[in-house]
Amino acid sequence: MAMENAPIVETHGLSKRFGSGFLAVDGVDMSVRRGEVYGFLGPNGAGKTTTLKMLVGLIGATSGTATVAGHAPGDPAGLAKIGCLIEGPGFYPYLSGRENLRVVADLASVSQRRVDEVLDLIEMTSRAGRKFGTYSTGMKMRIGVAAALLKDPELLILDEPTAGLDPQGMAEMRKLITDIGHGERTVLISSHLLGEVQATCDRVGVISNGKLVRESTVEDLLGDEGVFVRAEPSERANEVLTRMFGPAAVVHENGHFNLKTNPAQSLAINRQLMASGVAVSELRPVERSLEDVFFQLTGDKQGS
Amino acid sequence: MIATIRAEWRKNQFRPAFLVSLGVVAASTLFVYGIVWYLATHPSPGNQQGVSILTLYPDQFVNYVMGIGLLLGEAMAVVLGAVVAGSEYSWGTTKTMLTQRPGRLTNWSGRVVVFAAGLGIMALVLFAVGAASSVVVAAFEHHAITWPAALYIAEGLAAVWLVFIANGAIGLALGVLIRHSAAALGIGLIYVLAVEVLGVRFIDSLNNGAYKWIGNLFVGQNANALLQSFTSPAFGPSAPPAIATNQAVLVLAVYFAGLIVVAAGLLRLRDVT
Repeated sequence: MAMENAPIVETHGLSKRFGSGFLAVDGVDMSVRRGEVYGFLGPNGAGKTTTLKMLVGLIGATSGTATVAGHAPGDPAGLAKIGCLIEGPGFYPYLSGRENLRVVADLASVSQRRVDEVLDLIEMTSRAGRKFGTYSTGMKMRIGVAAALLKDPELLILDEPTAGLDPQGMAEMRKLITDIGHGERTVLISSHLLGEVQATCDRVGVISNGKLVRESTVEDLLGDEGVFVRAEPSERANEVLTRMFGPAAVVHENGHFNLKTNPAQSLAINRQLMASGVAVSELRPVERSLEDVFFQLTGDKQGS
Repeated sequence: MIATIRAEWRKNQFRPAFLVSLGVVAASTLFVYGIVWYLATHPSPGNQQGVSILTLYPDQFVNYVMGIGLLLGEAMAVVLGAVVAGSEYSWGTTKTMLTQRPGRLTNWSGRVVVFAAGLGIMALVLFAVGAASSVVVAAFEHHAITWPAALYIAEGLAAVWLVFIANGAIGLALGVLIRHSAAALGIGLIYVLAVEVLGVRFIDSLNNGAYKWIGNLFVGQNANALLQSFTSPAFGPSAPPAIATNQAVLVLAVYFAGLIVVAAGLLRLRDVT
């Protein structure tokens, strides 16, 4: 039971300074729980890929500690429990998709039968005989995900799995990730597609300029829900709403009200305002999107 | 380690670089035998130093393919080493390989074993095509087909393989150091074909040859000496090699081991960015 609750990824003060002096990752304290789908968000250059590479031992940390699947990053015993796709799929262009997976299966000491299983899972069986170099970006990405799944890993790390895909490819990959994420497996996914992360992830970590600026559930990150009200006369409306929810929950600005309350209160609000002679022209729930929160936390107005 | 060797073998058995190299070695051996056979049977009227056809018969094939191996094999091995190590970075396969179960040194060991085996196959192809060519020449010239002693063939094969792997290690180490196949290949070829040759000549010329011993520590000099030790009177009079055979074997083996260890250290310690 204790093992189930223990984080599968835990870092303390994890930092990476490259030889040029550039501090790519700055004291990240991160915790990914077993069985959850964890979204790792951040603008380009924020330190996402560097952090993920440190978790699988491709890059050594300058300072701090990390434990991944119960082992130090890069430890063969830990790697046996991790499947990853980092910085795009890297395979031999002169070999077929199937042969590439067989090479990976050999290295991972996985049965060759498993190759056909994962090819079936990613729906690439009919195209597995083609040379990897002739695949489209989407097909290459699928082979990358298949390679990550070969070990039937406890922890699956996917770094921008939808990068470079067209809308159809993104939709297919989204479905694949959703399918993979079900069950006992832990998925750590970095993505720019905030809508997808919001829909599929249990918790998220937001990294900006190398620092983990927020780590929480998606619900907590989005904050309290609210209600937007536009009503006339506004002075009378302000009195009614303040009486209902208290002054701290009512924000009056630009001729409308933002109420910090559950949207389920909408009917009661409308009824009270109408009964008080206030005409309601607009009343709707207010929800922050993950994108709004992301831009607020990272200060990246353009997104990336 | 077995898993790594199996994976390396699976990915390298159809690697175009290896297949093309084997083809080039086979074709070049056939070409050289054909040209020399023609020259031996069609001597120029004024040429006193004609080519002896005796060198083309099966009893001399080991001595004969040594020259081809030296000319062609050194450069080919450097190219192969640079391609095998450097392309792992160009294709992004390093990160795929290093995030599976085996550790970095196990990965590297498997790669070196399979690479050395590949160069062993290249040496076998050189010998097989040389032997076949010599049989064809002997058959056409109605010469008896007699073979060198099996031990002599084995020693020759081992010598060529040692020269190949010592040069291949230069390519491998450059591939890991530079992390790019084209650049590693270019630098390796320039070193083997020009820099080392000029460097040795310069060192040998200093102070009436007082520093010749330094020149005798280079790969090319030792490879040359080792392969020159395989000769016979059929090839005419030749000066004894400047470097003793045992020393040449030792120096080449040290180069191979040293470069592999240095490359292993680089792979072990450096980030895969």
